[in-house]
Amino acid sequence: MADVMGALPRRRGWQTPLFIILRSRIGATGVLILVIFTAVALAAPLIAPYDPFQIHRLPDNSVAQLLPPSSQFWLGTTYYGRDVLSQLIFGTRVAMIVGILSAFFITAIGTNVGLFAGYFGGWIDSLLMRITDVVFGIPFLPFAVVLVALLRPSLSNIILTISCLLWRTTARVIRAQVLSLRERPFIKAARMAGASDLRVMYVHILPNVLPMSLLYVSLGIGWAVLAEASLSFLGFGDPSMLSWGEILYQAYLTGSFRSSWWVVVPPGICIALLVASAFMIGREAETIVNPRLRDP
Amino acid sequence: MELWRYIGNRLLQTVVTLLAVLTLMWGMFRLIPGDPTTIFLGSGELPPDALAALRHSWGLDAPLYQQYLDYLRNLLTGNLGVSFYYRRPVLDVLLPMLWNTILLMGVAMVLATVIGVVVGAYLGWKRGQRIETIGSLLVLIPRSLPIFWIGIMLLMVFAYGLGWFPIGGLRTPAFIPETPLQQLPGYDLAQHMFLPVLTSVIYFLSDPLMIMRTSMLEVIEEDFIMFARARGLHERTVRKMARRNAIGPVLTYLAIMVSFAFGGQVLVEVLFSWPGMGSLMVNSVAQRDYPVAQAAFFLMAIITILLNLLIDVLYVFIDPRVHYG
Repeated sequence: MADVMGALPRRRGWQTPLFIILRSRIGATGVLILVIFTAVALAAPLIAPYDPFQIHRLPDNSVAQLLPPSSQFWLGTTYYGRDVLSQLIFGTRVAMIVGILSAFFITAIGTNVGLFAGYFGGWIDSLLMRITDVVFGIPFLPFAVVLVALLRPSLSNIILTISCLLWRTTARVIRAQVLSLRERPFIKAARMAGASDLRVMYVHILPNVLPMSLLYVSLGIGWAVLAEASLSFLGFGDPSMLSWGEILYQAYLTGSFRSSWWVVVPPGICIALLVASAFMIGREAETIVNPRLRDP
Repeated sequence: MELWRYIGNRLLQTVVTLLAVLTLMWGMFRLIPGDPTTIFLGSGELPPDALAALRHSWGLDAPLYQQYLDYLRNLLTGNLGVSFYYRRPVLDVLLPMLWNTILLMGVAMVLATVIGVVVGAYLGWKRGQRIETIGSLLVLIPRSLPIFWIGIMLLMVFAYGLGWFPIGGLRTPAFIPETPLQQLPGYDLAQHMFLPVLTSVIYFLSDPLMIMRTSMLEVIEEDFIMFARARGLHERTVRKMARRNAIGPVLTYLAIMVSFAFGGQVLVEVLFSWPGMGSLMVNSVAQRDYPVAQAAFFLMAIITILLNLLIDVLYVFIDPRVHYG
């Protein structure tokens, strides 16, 4: 019956998006990396060998500045004599918080804007899409620098700025999907059966655009992590928090990157791994939306 | 006729967008706690009546809507105010920086697009072969890396390690050429540009390349390619035909590239101490030199919006199949 009405089949068990992602090697790798980073973030105080802000000293009481990796400091020390590995582990927390919260807001705003614009059409559509156009006209990082600096640098302001702007792509894509779903018989049937607009939107249309939203959750994590790192590198990071971008900023500011690879290579690799894992999951999420991309 | 109506609509839309961004920015800079006069004076104190006179001369005692209208009028007449830090008109500070930015960004974007189109078309053509798999994976790596980290690594290896390139800036002060090679005009500038351009190209490259590859994969399925082959045309000629037909999506993408190019540009300029608009903006924000920061941001937004318009309009002329509306 559902088929007759043009409704998309309900996915169960191995057909749910998560399992489709896990079945492919790339998707599974992405999820694995993400799980590891989440575990590290949660267990940071337990696994970090030192307090990330502790200043280590040599036996002669001079600061243990820029020590290369050793058995005592696995990834060496920073210019100020702090343990790089511990900083890296605590930096995971900031990356995960910024990534997940921003991705959630980006997707929530974008999906709702797309849903309203696509479903109602007319002036609501025009208005929402013109707003989206305006947001597309704003260069992201310069805007973020100005806004974060004006609002005072803090983690919540960074998340706010990212969420304010990056919902734009999601909104456009979801709107396009809703436009085509709206004309399907099962939506018309639901409306004829007396379902209210909101019910049709959130009960009948939303589940069908969710896989697409999932794609933007994972892309959003990647964008947000890169954005936070870039802002921190420019000196607009949260001064009370340790992030990977902040470690790189300090390495740049003190000039220690010229001689000491261990203060720049590990944070860069962490950022790259986390962003890549998000993009890998996104790539597989795309095959749910567009099954033609799926490998035979 | 329909074409001109499309262009007219697009122009109108651009004006609305510009106005909205301007208004947003005006509101944003009102978020600063206190009053511009306190920042301008720094720690200096003024007698109350002198302060009132300054506030009056800056129009700060006028009602908000009046301030907003003044702001728009000033922008339209090119009066961007005076820099708090340099104590010079903002435009004098900004313009030289604008050219440096355009130079760096223009070279990087053109190179990235050309390399992306050529290599992407090649990879698409070699579909399923090992070189395609390896190539497509390789270009995806820089997409996950922060651009400033790529730059740091290049600086570490080629500037500090090997000493092949200068560590930053635009030119060597009092540069004296010694070898014949160094006597070439622009040698010093080119040497300073090399690493920042390389960083940006690595960063920009993957998107046009992947888009070109995907588009190429679609085009080579089309009948006219089969016919061209059947006519016995040379492999390279057919590839050229396919490439020309696959280039459309890359052009559309350019508009998106421009809008995020400034983000990368800001980071590259700061990293390589390139005296451009991006580093100027970051420094101005840090120094609380708000008139300059505002103008630099505004200029980047205008360029983004206008280039978007230009590409949309050009696209109609390049690809007559496009349905405008």
